[in-house]
Amino acid sequence: MELLIDNLAHGFSVALSLKNLSFALLGALIGTAIGVLPGIGPVATISLLLPITFGQEATTAIIMLAGIYYGAQYGGSTTAILLNLPGEVSSVVTTLEGYKMARNGRAGAALATAALGSFFAGSVATILVAASGPLLTQIALSFGPADYFSLMLLGLVIACVLAQGSILKAIGMVVVGVALGLVGTDVQTGQQRFTFGIPELSDGLGFAAIAMGMFGIAEIILNLERPEAREVLKTEVGKLWLTKDEFKRATPSVLRGTLLGSALGILPGGGASLAAFGAYMMERKMSRGRHMFGQGAIEGVAGPEAANNAAAQTSFIPLLTLGIPSNAVMALMVGALIIQGIQPGPRMVEAQPDLFWGLIASMWIGNVMLLVINLPMIGMWVKLLQVPYKYLYPAILVFCSIGVYSINNNVFDVYTTILFAVFGYMCSKLKMEPAPLLIGFVLGPMMEEHLRRAMLLSRGDWIVFLERPISATMLGIAAFALALMLLPNMRKSKDAAMAG
Amino acid sequence: MQLRINMKDVVSGLFLVLLALIGLWLNQDHSLGSARRMGPGYMPMLVFWIQVGLGTAVTLIGLFSGPDPLEKWTGLDAASLALGVAAGFITWAIATNLGPFFSQTYNGVGLGVLVGMLVVSWSAGWRKIGLICASMAVFALLLEKFGFFAALTGIILVASMAERTHTVRGVAGMLVFLLALCWWVFIYELDIRVNLWPQF
Repeated sequence: MELLIDNLAHGFSVALSLKNLSFALLGALIGTAIGVLPGIGPVATISLLLPITFGQEATTAIIMLAGIYYGAQYGGSTTAILLNLPGEVSSVVTTLEGYKMARNGRAGAALATAALGSFFAGSVATILVAASGPLLTQIALSFGPADYFSLMLLGLVIACVLAQGSILKAIGMVVVGVALGLVGTDVQTGQQRFTFGIPELSDGLGFAAIAMGMFGIAEIILNLERPEAREVLKTEVGKLWLTKDEFKRATPSVLRGTLLGSALGILPGGGASLAAFGAYMMERKMSRGRHMFGQGAIEGVAGPEAANNAAAQTSFIPLLTLGIPSNAVMALMVGALIIQGIQPGPRMVEAQPDLFWGLIASMWIGNVMLLVINLPMIGMWVKLLQVPYKYLYPAILVFCSIGVYSINNNVFDVYTTILFAVFGYMCSKLKMEPAPLLIGFVLGPMMEEHLRRAMLLSRGDWIVFLERPISATMLGIAAFALALMLLPNMRKSKDAAMAG
Repeated sequence: MQLRINMKDVVSGLFLVLLALIGLWLNQDHSLGSARRMGPGYMPMLVFWIQVGLGTAVTLIGLFSGPDPLEKWTGLDAASLALGVAAGFITWAIATNLGPFFSQTYNGVGLGVLVGMLVVSWSAGWRKIGLICASMAVFALLLEKFGFFAALTGIILVASMAERTHTVRGVAGMLVFLLALCWWVFIYELDIRVNLWPQF
């Protein structure tokens, strides 16, 4: 306990430096902005800013990128409530009750609930990350290569199971991602694989080029094809406060949402959107105001908003302790760390205490900032919504292009981005989710290394994956999750939950 | 069982199989090694065989899980796509003979992408994707030889053609604003190494 306080104090001393503080603020501001704006999400933005973080210190870079991710959760709820338009996937369910509240003239109360609930959940989840981080790290240090391989396999399986749409296609995308990760120099023999003699490919395909192409550019094209429909609510936002009764009704929902969100955030493949859906379903069944659902029940805003923010924070746990990304944003964080020369994994807590504790402290500071950014300054964000998309997309395009060029100062990366933009566009037309591909691409090379090491140690005996208890447990859970989803009933109820 | 074709799934599945077969064919160059000492070709072999299996399963299930047709293509869509791909590759092949500029640093590829994408964008269905990709190719072609500002002007002008409601004045204002913003962010603040003006 004392150690934890010491560590947190150290974290705050790192996070409160002027530079880190200003980049946390910058991240929170950018995050809120892209959360408010429909059509650009955290994945595209973080991949866009990845090259810019190149010149910064690792801690500063990660603090800013993390700020974008949880900032987007705050911002997304604003559009959901005022416009019935989810700025982010994770705020889809907020539209259901939040927009109704706004139509009833309680927009201010809904916004305040969302912001306060998010703040509370974020604070609790931050403490959870701080407490469980070192603990899990201790466990992770006893992992052998076989255990790591199985753990990553489990991560991939769960990411697919929880993805929207067909599981088989999601697994297919993971495998394509792993295959793309094979491109480059084989680490153990130095042989060039799938490089076609192109020198730029000997280091592998560019992570930023894939992410920006599939999430940034392909998104632009798809948004342009959709006609724009945006209508700002005419009614006044009203006073940003809750009545005593509303406060009483929202509090238990926030508590439940925080708990559920924290748990779901840790799961590989989980994260903010799943948590929000889960919390909404729970509130509709359990809360005292369940009979008011559909007419603007405050519980339906409080629960999901708390849950998505809690999950956004706790999804850092697998990344920081095991080095395993649980969703596409975390995969980008791995990319950012690797660019900085830091291998994410259980040794990070000890090797990079500034980064680990600084990030945790900055999460809490960031939540305070977001509360200020979102509540008193709400009018400014509503104004931002009036910028038409036709002026936004050229800016996004230009930033992506310069950004991807500046990683290696090579136009080759720009052409790779074009290729993946076309691929991402095609995937979306075929209803293939791009997010699993990114996770596969990041985990693939690590899995190959652990697989080869495990097999070398076991002298070529595959049974090692079932002999080691940790590894066997992971594989068992993975098989169970897959089998569960292949049952038609389970699949139907998952689809129903995903559709809200 | 009744045949109800889910075209999206069938195409996705076939695409997975095709990619995997190409991968397996390319993987013949790499030694497999044994399970104990895996060579560079072992993991790719595993991955691509799994992919073949998954692709086949997606295709077969897709035959019965529909109907979910692809978006309708007009004749023009198909024609401009075929023509565009052909034009792109032909331009690429010719480009290397067009002088030193096109034979160095992927400029030949860039010209191929640009020409191909412009031809593709001829049909209304492909206009957005064609023009957005073409604009990025313009950026890559211009950047190193003609400098930062020329490349930005090129990408913004081509990209703004993708949205019909743009006006000349609106684009001009946006151009000035974005040039200033990008100069401030990328040159003044981040100091990326790139020529600002044309080099001759």
